[in-house]
Amino acid sequence: MPDMVALSRQQPQERQFNPYSENGGTILAISGADFSVIAGDTRQSEGYSIQTRYAPKVFRLTDKAVLAVNGFAADGNMFVKQVRQRLEWYRHAHAKDMPLRAIARLIQTMLYARRFFPYYVYNILGGIEDDGSGAVYSFDPVGSYERESCRAAGAAQSLVQPFLDNQIYFKNQVPQPGMTHPKHLPLGTVGDGLEMFVVLAKGSPLYGLENFDGVQEMTSTHEGERIFVVRRNLKRD
Amino acid sequence: MFLTRSEYDRGVNTFSPEGRLFQVEYAIEAIKLGSTTVGVKTDEGVVLGVEKRVQSPLIESSSIEKIMEIDDHLGCAMSGLTADARTMIDHARVTAQNHSFTYDERIKVESVTQAVCDLALRFGESVHDEDAMMSRPFGVALLIAGIDELGPQLYHTDPSGTFVRYQAKAIGSGSEAAQAELQDKWHSKMTLKEAQTLTLRILKQVMEEKLDRHNVQLAQVTKEKGFEILDETSLKAIIDEM
Amino acid sequence: MDHFPMNWGRPRNDALDAYGTYPIAQRPYNGPTDAFSAGVQHTQQPIVTGTSVLAIKYKDGIMMAADNLASYGSLARFKDIQRLHPVGTNTVIGAGGDMSDFQYIQNFLDQLMIEEFTEQDGHSLGPSEIHEYLSRVMYARRSKMNPLWNSLIVGGFKDGKRFLSYVDLLGTTYSASTLATGYGSYIAQPLLRKAVEGNEDTLTEDEAVKIIEQSMKVLYYRDARSLNKYQIAKITADGVIVSESRSAETQWSFAEGIRGYGAQTQ
Repeated sequence: MPDMVALSRQQPQERQFNPYSENGGTILAISGADFSVIAGDTRQSEGYSIQTRYAPKVFRLTDKAVLAVNGFAADGNMFVKQVRQRLEWYRHAHAKDMPLRAIARLIQTMLYARRFFPYYVYNILGGIEDDGSGAVYSFDPVGSYERESCRAAGAAQSLVQPFLDNQIYFKNQVPQPGMTHPKHLPLGTVGDGLEMFVVLAKGSPLYGLENFDGVQEMTSTHEGERIFVVRRNLKRD
Repeated sequence: MFLTRSEYDRGVNTFSPEGRLFQVEYAIEAIKLGSTTVGVKTDEGVVLGVEKRVQSPLIESSSIEKIMEIDDHLGCAMSGLTADARTMIDHARVTAQNHSFTYDERIKVESVTQAVCDLALRFGESVHDEDAMMSRPFGVALLIAGIDELGPQLYHTDPSGTFVRYQAKAIGSGSEAAQAELQDKWHSKMTLKEAQTLTLRILKQVMEEKLDRHNVQLAQVTKEKGFEILDETSLKAIIDEM
Repeated sequence: MDHFPMNWGRPRNDALDAYGTYPIAQRPYNGPTDAFSAGVQHTQQPIVTGTSVLAIKYKDGIMMAADNLASYGSLARFKDIQRLHPVGTNTVIGAGGDMSDFQYIQNFLDQLMIEEFTEQDGHSLGPSEIHEYLSRVMYARRSKMNPLWNSLIVGGFKDGKRFLSYVDLLGTTYSASTLATGYGSYIAQPLLRKAVEGNEDTLTEDEAVKIIEQSMKVLYYRDARSLNKYQIAKITADGVIVSESRSAETQWSFAEGIRGYGAQTQ
């Protein structure tokens, strides 16, 4: 009875509901002396299927903070919802918008609170610090975080991050003899995201942003920090 | 007068027909029995001063603690039933630590004051299934001093859970005379040094005993050094200069 | 002492505090616990299942379709199950996945609509509110590791606006001008996109019906868990209409010529 032998050798199978999924996409952020750019594509997918071509994963939180979430979309949306709720409570309790570094720490505590049932989300927070400098914070799903100049996360992280390392940190580049690498990147040469938020510090110049394709300003006054959004179409493959 | 009150001054959660909560009002009265405490705000920082009533020569005056630290940038002076203040300051400290843990920033002076006042109102009967609360109002008033992004600030809290910001404030038994003196002497260009001297002068005026480094305590919150209780040597120096 | 003011002055049992929405998630639960909770079995797989649901936007609103089959594994067990369910006067939900979970969802949505109606406060739940509510429920259930095993499409028309969104057992949500669940997301979705994307505002009802009919026919040919008996729902400014069951003309003579598997001898 060969079939019987084969059957008995089968390992016991455990079937368990998997509460996670991976919805693809890539996010990235770059900060300079007085600006921060946060971008993400708007495609949401599962496996080989495109679920929708427009499900934004970059969210404006305050006048000077923008959060990009990548990974499991349901967790991402819920996480953003809860961060926003905490920001509102903070506003009521302390009569001010939460500063960027406080948001960063809050995100850590919120992520770590779920250490044993994590939000399967990679977060990148960009914006302007209280001292007026552009900043990017990146997080892992359980809350480890650091402030950086640039970070990519998601499906194309392994392609984008080396590019960023080369272009922003000048890794593997040698300056011309007698020259040094520029300290901060001029905005015009920064990448082309599908939905890209640009946060400019108070009084910062536009860096030619006004001539960008599909740019739209989200802030109504020119007095404080200014937020712009650039929308581009996906390649419809 | 007390006859009309007697009906309504027992329950801590019963309003009188005139709309008063007598137990809270009595608690505020209790503060007037406490030692005089003075707080003065300047642009450089806030000064807190208290009178320590050393009722017996056998008392170790250094064990009388009426000024306490809440956080690096926050301090607090009290008058009234000082034992009650421990609960409040404990809460203020936890709130401040919790804030810096969660938000990686120093809590605002107003926020920590609000937290203390939230606690001050938690008296009365506990609801079904609830942890027991305080059965009476706290019998202590606080002067909370601190520095945050809005600069140096001084807050006064009382047993009713009300808080008000002051440029200069005196509480306790000598508060009436002291407050009048503050109103007379305080000005917006005052230096920290001047505030220290003013605080001591006022305490000296209202104290029954002769003021020396053992029966007063001085503390300050400055941008540079945060909250500090002045030690006896620096206190003596200021007293000598006065 | 409890240093967290949000816990102060509140009954510790949420049953007594249904509207105390201040951080419920962070509040300690001190209520009675079920001694047998560890022994409670949660849904690990769907049992009686429905297959694809299709939905598109068109000029006048939303059109949806789903067949009448509820399968028990590969057995076509129930052939007269309605998988398009109107909720209120502006919304239809369509479900694939476990049919008992879907019936539970229909039940609590109907209950919810009655409760909202009896408030008589001038509010009525529209498609976007129903979708938001459903996604909260679906996400909450997945987070308890006790999912409602469905893929749901919510279609509606309210205040001159079309609404079309998806939510599934993981709480994943998205919207697009064409949606399809299950097998339909592989087979019908490309057809729907080709026909609809860019034409949402010009497609007439007749054209929309044709697109849906065509897609349902392809699905019937390709999907072994489908049935040639389905209903179409349309949600427009005039309200909700779910059609009687209908079927597509099919042609199977080509099957005679198929060689390579099955019972043929040569």
